[in-house]
Amino acid sequence: MAPRRILSHLVPILILPGLALSTPAQAHKLRVFAAAEGPLITGSAYFAGGGAAAGARIRVVDAQNRTLAEPTLDAAGRFSYRAQAAADLLIVAETGDGHRTEWRIPASDLTGSFPATDSGAPEPPATAPTAAAPPTPAPSGLDPLLTTAIEGAVARQLRPLREELQSFQDQARLRDILGGLGYILGLMGLALWWRSRRTAARP
Amino acid sequence: MAHIPDGVLSAPVLIAGAIASAGLLALALRRLDYDHLPAAAALSAAFFVASLISVPVGPSSVHLLLNGLMGLLLGWTALPALFVALVLQAVFFGYGGFAVLGVNTLNMALPALLCALALRPLLRRERPWSGARPVFWIGAAAGGAGVLLTAVMLALSLGLSGQAFIPAAQVLVITYVPLALVEALITGTVLRFLQRVEPDLLPGPRALEVEALP
Repeated sequence: MAPRRILSHLVPILILPGLALSTPAQAHKLRVFAAAEGPLITGSAYFAGGGAAAGARIRVVDAQNRTLAEPTLDAAGRFSYRAQAAADLLIVAETGDGHRTEWRIPASDLTGSFPATDSGAPEPPATAPTAAAPPTPAPSGLDPLLTTAIEGAVARQLRPLREELQSFQDQARLRDILGGLGYILGLMGLALWWRSRRTAARP
Repeated sequence: MAHIPDGVLSAPVLIAGAIASAGLLALALRRLDYDHLPAAAALSAAFFVASLISVPVGPSSVHLLLNGLMGLLLGWTALPALFVALVLQAVFFGYGGFAVLGVNTLNMALPALLCALALRPLLRRERPWSGARPVFWIGAAAGGAGVLLTAVMLALSLGLSGQAFIPAAQVLVITYVPLALVEALITGTVLRFLQRVEPDLLPGPRALEVEALP
């Protein structure tokens, strides 16, 4: 029984191929991404590093935990849902075997797109700048249509950034892998040290 | 799959899982086999990184578990090895939740212990190695059984938590049966390889004296 010899054989056999294969990304975790452009929420469900999760079930849940809709996924794992009101929404994805994940869409992402529900009565766009301006002035004094258009444009521009940020977070980094391996080796060293101390203390 | 995230299981299942794995862990630490600690660390590390390589199967995605191999080679020591790796996976990769750690450990470790209980004695009897075959098949049995028993445990945890049991079981059968076959092949090959290169690593007659399985 030569632990060091065993280790020297096992480490390269078991760990290095795994490391070599896994350095860039690869993770297995169900993720869902969604973003609102106006009232239309589009997104996708996928396994981080492992492709689309086309078989997952998507639910749109509101703040009272009511299921509003169950959009179907296409082959690439994409879905879309048209929001009915500016409210906090939760997109929940499940695969049925214990994978579950969610994505929150705050009401503020949707507010810009519901001028009608916000001000109560729908106002005709043509008269908005002059006639309807005094009763319901927009917070900044801007035309509500313009605000909506700006918010839509910003959301469109931000979307690729958000997607990129999410995919960046999905990556298992070499730092994490090495950190975990270091922990395991450290714990082993600790246990062996503890044992050697105890055996040395005994006469 | 094997890493259940937070928010899926019900509280009674979580508590029962935590108590059961804490008890088993305490038992395992008492029986810790220090001579096999480096091997345990290496296998724990292998388990830790194996989860990074996942393959989409059906509606889900799977990766190697290696719990059959760990049970076979380590016996009770597989428990702390699995637990440490699961904690680190949760911390570094975000696989599985912290509240679910007990259940996840139990789902992986109980199959490993059962493999050890059923197959380690066989491996010992094979000690004056007669040929390649029996070792390969013992390994294959451990690899396959480890995965399938984990699938059963997983289906039970989901079912007891009030998830729709039948669809969950269907998904598990679709995804875990191919995985069990692959894992059987790999575990058998690894065992055969170890027998050729480093037979000391396999449980031998000496291990019989040191440690007694329950």
